[in-house]
Amino acid sequence: MKKLIALLLALTLVFALAACGETATTETTETTETTETAEARTFVMGIDAEYPPFSYIDDNGEYTGFDVEVCKAACEKLGWDFQVFGVNWDEKLIQLDAGECDCVWSGMTILDSMKESGYVISEPYYDNTQVILVKEDSDIASSADLAGKAVAVQLGTSGEALLQGDLADLAATFGETVTCDSFLKCFTELGGGAVDAVFVDMPVAVAYAAQNEGFKIIDEQLGAEQYGIAFRADDAETCAAIEGAVAELVADGTYAAIAEKYPDIVNNLLFLQ
Amino acid sequence: MDLLTMIAKMSEGLGRTCAIFFLTLLFSLPLGMIVALLRMSKSKVVSGVVRFIISVLRGTPLMLQLLAVTYGPYYLFGISISRNKLIPVVIAFAINYAAYFAEIYRGGIESIPVGQYEAAQVLGFTKAQTFLRIVLPQVVKRILPSVTNEIITLVKDTSIAFTVSYQEMFTIGKQIANSQTSFLPFVVAGVFYFAFNAIVDFVMGKAEKAMDYYK
Repeated sequence: MKKLIALLLALTLVFALAACGETATTETTETTETTETAEARTFVMGIDAEYPPFSYIDDNGEYTGFDVEVCKAACEKLGWDFQVFGVNWDEKLIQLDAGECDCVWSGMTILDSMKESGYVISEPYYDNTQVILVKEDSDIASSADLAGKAVAVQLGTSGEALLQGDLADLAATFGETVTCDSFLKCFTELGGGAVDAVFVDMPVAVAYAAQNEGFKIIDEQLGAEQYGIAFRADDAETCAAIEGAVAELVADGTYAAIAEKYPDIVNNLLFLQ
Repeated sequence: MDLLTMIAKMSEGLGRTCAIFFLTLLFSLPLGMIVALLRMSKSKVVSGVVRFIISVLRGTPLMLQLLAVTYGPYYLFGISISRNKLIPVVIAFAINYAAYFAEIYRGGIESIPVGQYEAAQVLGFTKAQTFLRIVLPQVVKRILPSVTNEIITLVKDTSIAFTVSYQEMFTIGKQIANSQTSFLPFVVAGVFYFAFNAIVDFVMGKAEKAMDYYK
């Protein structure tokens, strides 16, 4: 088993190195070209190639994912040449500053520190915040009140991942964690009194509470984070251009068509709410 | 997560899987007999109604029946959903399997020649005595292979309880598979089910041998 893992790791390392070498060389030739012909601009998208479904390498070895497809479509709108550059996630902002890529766009959580450092950050496009949905007459007012209560969560969602990871301490106080196979069942269990609360993505909770009477969302955000695109400090122009192109994609339905291919994230896309 | 932790975690759910299995058999085997006798009732109305119920139970997926039993009362009458999911799960399973068992029983009972009833009547047996002492022992022998079939199916069907968030073995397997992005839990589940059914097979084989007294 261990040998197999070691072998796999070695293989991924080799491929990763090969991929880096390749993109680096093509990238340099491309930049020289762009200085020669100012018309056709090349836009280099910085991604983490290991972050499905936002950005990853598909079975054919091509870069794909929701973010990659949206960026590609946006570049088509702008008439820019599109390129992908796999960044080293820990050093993504340094690589952005160095001009190895023109943006970091890969399911990136917007941090205050990024804005403080002067980076131009796009409007958030994805909401990964988790909230607690309860019945209107419930006496649960915060996550602390969930101690000993039955809480429903959907299998395979970011909420479930949080409860097993970052919020494991909170989950340990629950009387019972009920895993359902759909949001509808989570909400039905809540309505029927089989559970006391549902731990769910904020956009999903907001939509359900708006359509159905008798539910309320507790005013406490757990694991709050939003995804955005980072550009260099002096590059507000590019940011505005990309934002404009994405807005067009949203308007003409291309954005929704791309989102349909990624059902796991479609509920949390802010532009589609 | 190593294999042993995985097996330990899934074994926790195995108790719940067994609970569904044994409770379903406990209720559905006798219930099936009642349904079979009603189905063979001389009253056209009774047998017609029972026949329709059986056709609904056999003609719709168990998963839908499970959803209907668990969530139906809440959606229709606002009755709160049971916190102990074992109750609706066993009700749905027992009713569904009773329908299948009833038809197996009926086949067995109707396979007994009319001559035996006539002979019993001549010898002064009452109707109840005829059924319990003469017909039933032969029926049990004949239907055992078909019943074994259903029992084996039941072992595998317990995984459907996940539909209503009952945390049985396969549910836990799925959760581990999701969080560890590994297919290994499904392999473990497969081995669990196969081992379970190997035991069922063995026990029912013994039972068939024990019933072999005429040969």
